[in-house]
Amino acid sequence: MLEIADIVTSYGKIEALKGVSLSVAPGEITCLLGPNGAGKTTTMMTVAGLLKPRRGSITFEDRNITGRDPGHIVRSGIALVPENRLVFPDMSVHDNLRTGAYSRSDNEIEDDIDRMFERFPRLDERQLQHAGTLSGGEQQMLAVARALMARPKLLLMDEPSLGLAPMIVEEIFRIIRDLNAEGTSIFLVEQNVHQALKVAHHFYLLEQGRVTFGGSPGDLEEDEVIQRAYLGSAETT
Amino acid sequence: MGSGYALLAIGFTLIFGVLRRLNLSYGPSIMVGVFFGTFLFIQFQAGWYTVLVGTVLGAAIAGAYVERLCFWAIKKGAAVASMVSSFAVWMQLEEGVTIAFPDRTYEFPALGDFELIELAGLSVRQEHVIMLGIAAILVFALHQLLYRTRFGLAVRAVSEDPNAALFMGVNTGRVIFLAFILASAIGGIAGYFIMATEEVITPKFGLQATFKGLIAMMLGGMGSVPGAIAGGLLLGVVEKQAEWYAGAVWRDIAAFMLLFAFLIVRPGGLLAQHTAARDLAALRRV
Repeated sequence: MLEIADIVTSYGKIEALKGVSLSVAPGEITCLLGPNGAGKTTTMMTVAGLLKPRRGSITFEDRNITGRDPGHIVRSGIALVPENRLVFPDMSVHDNLRTGAYSRSDNEIEDDIDRMFERFPRLDERQLQHAGTLSGGEQQMLAVARALMARPKLLLMDEPSLGLAPMIVEEIFRIIRDLNAEGTSIFLVEQNVHQALKVAHHFYLLEQGRVTFGGSPGDLEEDEVIQRAYLGSAETT
Repeated sequence: MGSGYALLAIGFTLIFGVLRRLNLSYGPSIMVGVFFGTFLFIQFQAGWYTVLVGTVLGAAIAGAYVERLCFWAIKKGAAVASMVSSFAVWMQLEEGVTIAFPDRTYEFPALGDFELIELAGLSVRQEHVIMLGIAAILVFALHQLLYRTRFGLAVRAVSEDPNAALFMGVNTGRVIFLAFILASAIGGIAGYFIMATEEVITPKFGLQATFKGLIAMMLGGMGSVPGAIAGGLLLGVVEKQAEWYAGAVWRDIAAFMLLFAFLIVRPGGLLAQHTAARDLAALRRV
């Protein structure tokens, strides 16, 4: 569904991604794990069109989307739940959802908003409240609902469990599983290796801008994944 | 008078809101518009509506020019560079107008001959009442635009979090450009009505418009539209009272004294919001 081939993305002279290749299969949950600074968020940003790769190609449903602007990528069916949620704090919950549908021009937007409120009853209770007054978990749900408003085929999620209480983390992962069961493909960046391996069909390890492992959760001992996801592997450190 | 300042402050607020940067060339853009209006009047004896349209158009075009040069061309994170270059463009616009209109002081067409009218025991100039009405209509229209349209949603999203707006597929560059033009057009309307009551125009009007708009915005609370209205009205009242009781020279002194008093007592402005901290942080970057 999503094919990333040998992309190089740099900030000035520093190469954050040094030739990353990976693929996300339709209907699956694919996880990208790795230590801080490995380039996980950079990978997400490059797919979402916020950073332009210097080299390599990104293909989505057999269409080349390399270097296209974020609006085009949202319209082609990829939505992002950004790191740290980034909801609009002084906008109502309702308006936040409307921004998620900014790329759409059909007239079913209000129906979809109602559907989001059915799925996330806690957002329903807070429809007119400013998003900044919500708890961290509620903001994360809003960020997910906002991304879903674009009706994506592929959902990119950048560390959705970051800074949330364990109970809320469980809930977020339940939502991820539910969405996937309904047919949305998910590309997930996570620090919470244990939870990520529980939901993932496939996962990749990213270390210092390179993919160092790709396979299924059973292929590596969880201990080794945890060590490499937090500390990087012995040969690269 | 205050409603003119309120409109100036709203324009400032829009630009500061979407960009978190100060556009010092805001006043001079309006001044260019006003001179264009005056040119139409002198050259073609244009009627008031032609002059108004010309003023707004001139201000909008000058605003678009400033945005492309000082804000679009200068990338994110270079807020100081934007402010400094907007100051440079200010000089450029002022000199340009001085060369095009060498006599410096020109007549600006009055809105018409109006009598003083009695309103609740106070005598007020009719132009001021018209101005207040126009300002109220504009504020209402702007509110509808910001809260009822897709473009308004995009403007609010960009002003709250430009990165998140990008993630939603908003073309932030275009939204900023259009908001800039809108702000300059509102400034043009304000400039027209201020000039139509003063009836004399000089290139220094740019300085006056920037300062008065900036002061009104800071009085009201940075980045808040209701604050801009309140700040503008307050500034207008205080200036008029100072002029009446202490003489014309006290007008600007009173404006600055009011600003300093606010900065000391209530630095967030009249309608300080919880976004004030963020705005202050943005200002410190500037």
